[in-house]
Amino acid sequence: MTRLRRAGLAPDRGPLAVAAEGPGGLRLLALDPEARALGLRPGEPLGRVRARIGVPLQVHPADPESDRAALLRLCRWAEGYAPGVALFGAAEAADGLYIDVAGASHLRSGEGPLVDDLAGRLARSKIAARIALADTPGGAFALARYGASDRVIVSPGGAAQALEALPVEALRLDPGTASGLRRLGLRRVGEVDALARGPLARRFGEALLLRLDQAMGRRPEPLAPLTEAAAYRAARGFLDPIGRQSDIVVTARLLMAEIAPRLERDGLGACALRLVLHRVDGVMRVLDLGLSRPERCPERVAALVSLRLDRLGAGLDAGFGFETVALTVTVTGALSARQTELGAAPQGDGIDALADALAQRLGRPLLRLGARASHIPERAARPLPWTADPASWPDHLPPRPLVLFPRGEAALDVLSTVPEGPPRRFRWRARIHAIVHAEGPERIASEWWHAPGAARDYYRVECEAGRRLWLYRDGPHAPGRPAAWFVHGVFA
Amino acid sequence: MGLDPLNQTGRDPAMGSPRERLAALRAQLAAPGAPAAPRPVLPLGLTAIDAHLPGGGLALGPPHEIAPMEPADAVAALGFALALCAGRLARTQGAALIAAAPSQPLPHGHGLAGLGLDPARLLLLEAGGDADVFRALEAALHARALPVLIGLLADGLPLKPGRRLQLAAEGGADGDTPPLLLILRPAETGLPNGAATRWRIASAPAARDRFGTLDSPRWRARLERCRNGRGGDWLVEWDHAAHRLRLPEPLARDAAAAGRSRA
Repeated sequence: MTRLRRAGLAPDRGPLAVAAEGPGGLRLLALDPEARALGLRPGEPLGRVRARIGVPLQVHPADPESDRAALLRLCRWAEGYAPGVALFGAAEAADGLYIDVAGASHLRSGEGPLVDDLAGRLARSKIAARIALADTPGGAFALARYGASDRVIVSPGGAAQALEALPVEALRLDPGTASGLRRLGLRRVGEVDALARGPLARRFGEALLLRLDQAMGRRPEPLAPLTEAAAYRAARGFLDPIGRQSDIVVTARLLMAEIAPRLERDGLGACALRLVLHRVDGVMRVLDLGLSRPERCPERVAALVSLRLDRLGAGLDAGFGFETVALTVTVTGALSARQTELGAAPQGDGIDALADALAQRLGRPLLRLGARASHIPERAARPLPWTADPASWPDHLPPRPLVLFPRGEAALDVLSTVPEGPPRRFRWRARIHAIVHAEGPERIASEWWHAPGAARDYYRVECEAGRRLWLYRDGPHAPGRPAAWFVHGVFA
Repeated sequence: MGLDPLNQTGRDPAMGSPRERLAALRAQLAAPGAPAAPRPVLPLGLTAIDAHLPGGGLALGPPHEIAPMEPADAVAALGFALALCAGRLARTQGAALIAAAPSQPLPHGHGLAGLGLDPARLLLLEAGGDADVFRALEAALHARALPVLIGLLADGLPLKPGRRLQLAAEGGADGDTPPLLLILRPAETGLPNGAATRWRIASAPAARDRFGTLDSPRWRARLERCRNGRGGDWLVEWDHAAHRLRLPEPLARDAAAAGRSRA
């Protein structure tokens, strides 16, 4: 719903509903407050609703993929508060996300300001949200979903007290368990918590106790963060947002200098880096930098960032500036200790530095020619990343052209003196070629296990002007069948 | 020979303070005939051609322009450039970089053996356009990591990028050898630029071995423009085993006929 309104697909005012195919036709899935005020409930058949209410109701089809994508975007954005962000899973059966702010709240001068900041930003982005901060994910979920206010902060150790008045559904139970509890007259979390555990477990299974304990903090509940908590990450927030390229580059260098000692201690280097720039208005820019060799030199990382920003140019769109810059090492590789301080000249053969610079500056990888085990000429070679092992090239092949076309180009108006021999003259690329010399044929059979096709008879021919071409006839000579000739390559 | 006043002044400003530069300029004025350090060159192995080139070969560093005589000779021009590349690689360590604008013909790995070039020593960069090729070449010139750089252009080499490449080639520290820089451009365009030499290449009937089959490639190579040297026009043959150019045998004017007569 929020996604529709933010994308401008739905008007800002008026009752709005999202419907999806359910049992017996379309049923309402989600409603906005105005629609709720009309007495509509999720799950009602759309036809009955249309008949019941008189006011026009905007109905949109449900689009779970887009909803999930929007939620993921929100998660990425929320990683600006703390690195551990997890989506609600199957247990929650709702849209939302957890942010693990343990150890991160002091960056926003405390939990209260952090929640205020989060709520304020979401409100400015027109995202309706309920926020709860508690000791446990279960507790936070219960309070966010069923709490009295849309902004709750539970002080450490206060979970049991805060949760006891909430309905039992807040414990993330499956619907059967929840209705069973209600049949027994147990409506509040506090009432369930007060009962003896043995009978509860026998009656409702271990899952109820697990959920209860998780909410109360008696059993741990690990979150599955969206991005693995990166061991090598550094971030910097700015009171005054930065927007200039040089500032971003300097920041990247400082962040890498912060990470480098940790990498060095573990004998690692960064193979891939991600620089995340959080813009003031909540938009994020993610720059992924790949390195061809493990690296932990801040100056080189800064140089790569600079090249990448050069290429982006105006595409970066700093807007009113970036307030947080985070650098994460996403892939590491072993790198033995070496001197990084003295001498700016890159060590080794320097090709890796050049390859990285080209990749960042032009956005194109450096390639090398690779051989492939195939008889078919156009399949016998392919480009590989330059770091790949140079393949061994067969040295027993008959001469091959210097330039090979991806597929044969038709030779037209072919004139032959001998029916099964090479042509005497033909037209190709708007020019008549008269053959003075021909060598062949070299028969290359098709690879029937890939795609059936005719064998080709290749000839090396030289024309009057001295150009040397590689010609083939598609299929062996057969009486009564016109031969099709193709130019497949040019020799030096 | 090898003394190029333009280059001397072009190299010195990189040295530092104005005072030092002035001193260096004075020193040059004081000894106008002082021999400059010989610039590294790639000899083509043919005295007939090397005598036309300043320093006795293709100077390493400044760009050399290679263009086909006609559009249909583009592969011959590529072959000539790769032959020079093979000649340089045979004398040094390292790999060659080919930076190609889109839709330029790229070498086929299996076809390089005919030029005596190891495909494993070639690196390819498919650039987005001529401007990207210049950027890549400039970065590679600064990096000094590769002994041969080849740019395949879709248009031509304008004056400004040519000058930039030349400056990048001269910018290295003393003692390191600049790479061989070859620029291939299509036949039509002939913009004025800072290239040290300009070659026009056309295919010629190949040499025949003693059984009359096609052997080494031959090209008609015309040296159209050569700074501090003389132009010329030769029929050359590439010796892929020795990695050098050679002139066809004097009697082999009609190559095909000669092949037949000896067979």
